[in-house]
Amino acid sequence: MSDKEEIEKEVLPSENNPDAKKISKKEVVKAFWRWTFFSHANYNYERLQATGVVFALSPILKHLYGNDQDAMKEALKRHMQFFNTEPHFGGAILGMTIAMEEEKSNGAPITNDTINGLKTGLMGPLAGIGDTLWQGTLIPILLSFTIGFASKGNILMGPVLFAVLHLGIIWSIGYFSWMQGYSLGKEGIAKVLQGSLLPTVMTFAQCMGPIVIGALSATFVKVSSPLKIQLGKSVLKVQSGILDKLVLGLLPLGITLLAYYLLKRKFKPTTVVLILVLIGVIGGAFYII
Amino acid sequence: MTIHLWQAFLIGVVYYLGQMGTPWVSLAGTHTIMRPLVNGALVGLILGDPVKGTIFGAAIQLPFLAWIGAGGAVPMDTALAGTLGTALGMASNVSPSVAITLAVPISLIGTMIWVLHMTVDITFVHMADTAAEKGDLKRIDLLHVWPPQITMFVFSVVPAMLAAYYGAGPVKTVIGGLSGTPLHVLTVIGGLLPALGIAMNLQAMTGKGTLMFFLLGFMLAVYSKLPILAIAVFAVIIAYIYTTLYLKKGSENA
Repeated sequence: MSDKEEIEKEVLPSENNPDAKKISKKEVVKAFWRWTFFSHANYNYERLQATGVVFALSPILKHLYGNDQDAMKEALKRHMQFFNTEPHFGGAILGMTIAMEEEKSNGAPITNDTINGLKTGLMGPLAGIGDTLWQGTLIPILLSFTIGFASKGNILMGPVLFAVLHLGIIWSIGYFSWMQGYSLGKEGIAKVLQGSLLPTVMTFAQCMGPIVIGALSATFVKVSSPLKIQLGKSVLKVQSGILDKLVLGLLPLGITLLAYYLLKRKFKPTTVVLILVLIGVIGGAFYII
Repeated sequence: MTIHLWQAFLIGVVYYLGQMGTPWVSLAGTHTIMRPLVNGALVGLILGDPVKGTIFGAAIQLPFLAWIGAGGAVPMDTALAGTLGTALGMASNVSPSVAITLAVPISLIGTMIWVLHMTVDITFVHMADTAAEKGDLKRIDLLHVWPPQITMFVFSVVPAMLAAYYGAGPVKTVIGGLSGTPLHVLTVIGGLLPALGIAMNLQAMTGKGTLMFFLLGFMLAVYSKLPILAIAVFAVIIAYIYTTLYLKKGSENA
């Protein structure tokens, strides 16, 4: 235990130095909001969020390196490197970067490579987790709740509720992630990644998501057959007489699974659109569907 | 319904605010406004009927349910689909399913605007590199926001405004000429396209038993006729039980 304390003191020179530069909580929060709003303002094919990182860390860098032009140049070059992650979950990376910059400016032996290694090493995994949970799970589930109301013209329970829930949840996650990243420093993210919280949330999402999506598919994919078969004097309606007696919703289910199968076979979404349109044109023109 | 020039301009502004990453409403804010569910309501408000806009937006949202913009790639421009789809749909007085059919090709055309701006922005990164050499933090802050956003504003507002202003007439004529089979075909296609969004969403879910859970949700909805909200509550309960059992089994094996 005493060994560990010594190491920590060695790595964190600000702890026992009264003249050390100290980043206040207010500055960390300010950087968080700069990132939350401006991360993608200059998104581009070459370095994606690079200038977004510099813009977000700007008040921090000014505080730490404002009086040292050479250190400032070095810091700017360091953060102008390629960076791309999911900004809310991935905010933890920049929270940690702030902690590292703070220590570095106070003389801790942290190199450019350490900081860049941390950023590039974590940005991929956090983007994967973040996009799956945010764009792949949270947004579709919120949309599923609210679309039903909206399609009946309910503005408050439709678009308004979606916007409020979406922003409330995702900003909270972003804030938590950013502040955790800063306060836990380098070990922080590893703790979260190795802990039991993440697999629990992921498993939960992977179960709940498809059930809700299934209900959505049943409600909103609309295909039915107007075909009628003349049987002597009586008319057999294909939809109500045959299909509905087999399995309700057979056609919408079939179409959805067909689209899923095509995507699994690496068809591009645009190709799948084309195939669906083709089915619609042929089926519709002959009144099969 | 006619779309006035000022209304067309405001529709263009809504489209700009729904461009992924526009800073004025935050990244999550753009991810809110880019959803047809939301921008349809805003366009409806501009055109004087937010309820109708909401209904159109909800319909157009369906094929884009699982839209994911990641790694700098945007497969479809849902913001353009929602704004123009709602505007043109309302102006030409068609049903929401026909508006879906209109919106999907619009979303594909819109991706060109994204590619253009992602390419132009590279210039500003190189300018920021020069500023970094000089240690000029203030200049990077300026370069990060203003040049790309002014470019984006022009790239977004101008085409959306022109399409909303001049598009309503031709769309109305074309759709007015359609009746009988062609209109039936358009409606059928509008009913089929939501399947794509759902399939993309399923594909993005990588867990075990995705298809089984999907079938469960589908059958539950079809046979019980319960609203989605009620099924979502069941889904939470099922997910809770599943997660508890699944992780317990995992730790026993380990």
